Amino acid sequence: MDLNLIKKLVRIVDTSDITDLEVEESGFRVKIAKKIRAFQTAPVAEKVQEEKLPSKPEVQENTHEIRSPIVGTFYRAPAPDADSYVNVGDTVSPGSVLCIVEAMKLMNEIESDVSGKILKILVENGKPVEYNQPLFLIQVS
Amino acid sequence: MFNKILIANRGEIALRIIRTCKELGIKTVAVYSEADRDSLHVTFADEAVCIGPPPSKDSYLKIPSIISAAQVTGADAIHPGYGFLAENANFSEICQESKIKFIGPSSQMINAMGDKAYAKDTMKKNGVPVIPGSNGIIKSGDEGIKVSHEIGFPVIIKASAGGGGKGMRIVWEEKEFEKAFQTAKTETESAFGNSDVYIEKFIENPRHVEIQVLGDSFGNVYHYGERDCSVQRRHQKLIEETPSPAIDAEIRNKMGETAILGAKAVNYEGAGTIEFLLDKYKNFYFMEMNTRIQVEHPVTEVVYEVDLIRQQILVAAGRKVETLPKKPSGHSIEFRINAEDPENGFRPSPGKITSLHFPGGFGVRVDSHIYQSYTIPPYYDSLIAKLIVWGKNRQHAIARGRRVLEEFTVEGIKTTIPFHLKVLEDERFLSGNFDTSFLDNFVFK
Repeated sequence: MDLNLIKKLVRIVDTSDITDLEVEESGFRVKIAKKIRAFQTAPVAEKVQEEKLPSKPEVQENTHEIRSPIVGTFYRAPAPDADSYVNVGDTVSPGSVLCIVEAMKLMNEIESDVSGKILKILVENGKPVEYNQPLFLIQVS
Repeated sequence: MFNKILIANRGEIALRIIRTCKELGIKTVAVYSEADRDSLHVTFADEAVCIGPPPSKDSYLKIPSIISAAQVTGADAIHPGYGFLAENANFSEICQESKIKFIGPSSQMINAMGDKAYAKDTMKKNGVPVIPGSNGIIKSGDEGIKVSHEIGFPVIIKASAGGGGKGMRIVWEEKEFEKAFQTAKTETESAFGNSDVYIEKFIENPRHVEIQVLGDSFGNVYHYGERDCSVQRRHQKLIEETPSPAIDAEIRNKMGETAILGAKAVNYEGAGTIEFLLDKYKNFYFMEMNTRIQVEHPVTEVVYEVDLIRQQILVAAGRKVETLPKKPSGHSIEFRINAEDPENGFRPSPGKITSLHFPGGFGVRVDSHIYQSYTIPPYYDSLIAKLIVWGKNRQHAIARGRRVLEEFTVEGIKTTIPFHLKVLEDERFLSGNFDTSFLDNFVFK
């Protein structure tokens, strides 16, 4: 990866009106996005409206997202020194416990509602999650 | 001082609170439902947490979601704004148990003032004038007549279990009493399954005049004058102003001192409002106490030069009230602009704002969360902006109000701007001689 190239691209985006720039060239792909400042109210509105459907674009065929039903902290295991409930590649079925989301000192077990294989784990252990935030991507069987 | 405050609200008041937090150097956390993803309070807060789907009961009223959001962001205080959980004693207590400072009163205080009978009793014991009434349920027509003579006609018979005007009868003279008493009892029995009634003095043509108080944890309580909120439609305030055209400095002092008496009697801390009914003889009677910041607080801020949200936060952090009351300067009027269609029964008008221009210039303040191309969601109340004007005197404020309402441009949705302009042409409003029945007889169009 050519760091100087990336620096040049960042500068181009920074000093222009460009908000999104994607460059692909023989196995190398970089995407640079500029966050618009809040005081430009019209651009913010339009930009946020583009992101209105949060993670839908990511979902491919036959995959299913497990989302958090509550606000809380995401834990992969029932206790700090215990094994994770699931890992990438594991098979799950409806009712399988995938993780814990802790809220107000209550440990809420989040279960799968489909049968399939864990494709991706979308949140790091111990990180906060908000309502409807995607947690797992499951390849539905 | 707090490090981070979570604002458990939305819309214009959330933005209002964020603004003062920024000035105090306090970090802010916004919570939002999925319908408010594009809302301005989300943009301007330092952090934002999605707490639920659009319905309020699943988001802004969902206590576990809000507490959890405060915990994951490390907020050390929560400002509830107005409405939603602002006067929810349960929420206040849970905040306390979770070691998060609730910027508002304790659960005991909320319960005390929320119990209307208890609040009235407490005020009465402390020398605050209350609406004279019977001591409890009236068991017979004869007893009722006796009590009515003690209070003085006209009286109103009210249902103990009642509400919404059911089981209410106004009685102007003794000979009407027995019949009114019987029909009131029958009506309330069929509506609520309980025929208990009591009597209160009927206040003719009341004005709604409330006093803003601030108390700190050192026992200091101050008042910042009155707000006249008599322009109401179905008990919803639409226009508020200070000073009230109905009272003079002497009455203001009396009402203010009485309000302080009432607040001190309950060791009140924080911002609060004591609502009075003012009758046509300029007698005032305690109605109720609101233990939160009110929608119409800006008119007081403008005339008394005080940031009430800032004072709330300081007091909650254990400091003394910073801005003491002073002699009021000028006249201020607030117009509540709602996304409603005044030509069609004020029905809600949510939708996309295609064009927006806020008025400006000297003596103008706009508290609003809307912006051009914003879509107003249909799930919450219809308040989209508060337009506050200041003038040297009432006439000047009204003239400025007219100019500013004409300049204010909102397209894509219907608003109550034309309605306010109509009110500013009304003789009764212009004279200052109006009461809470004003809008009952007001014809728009």
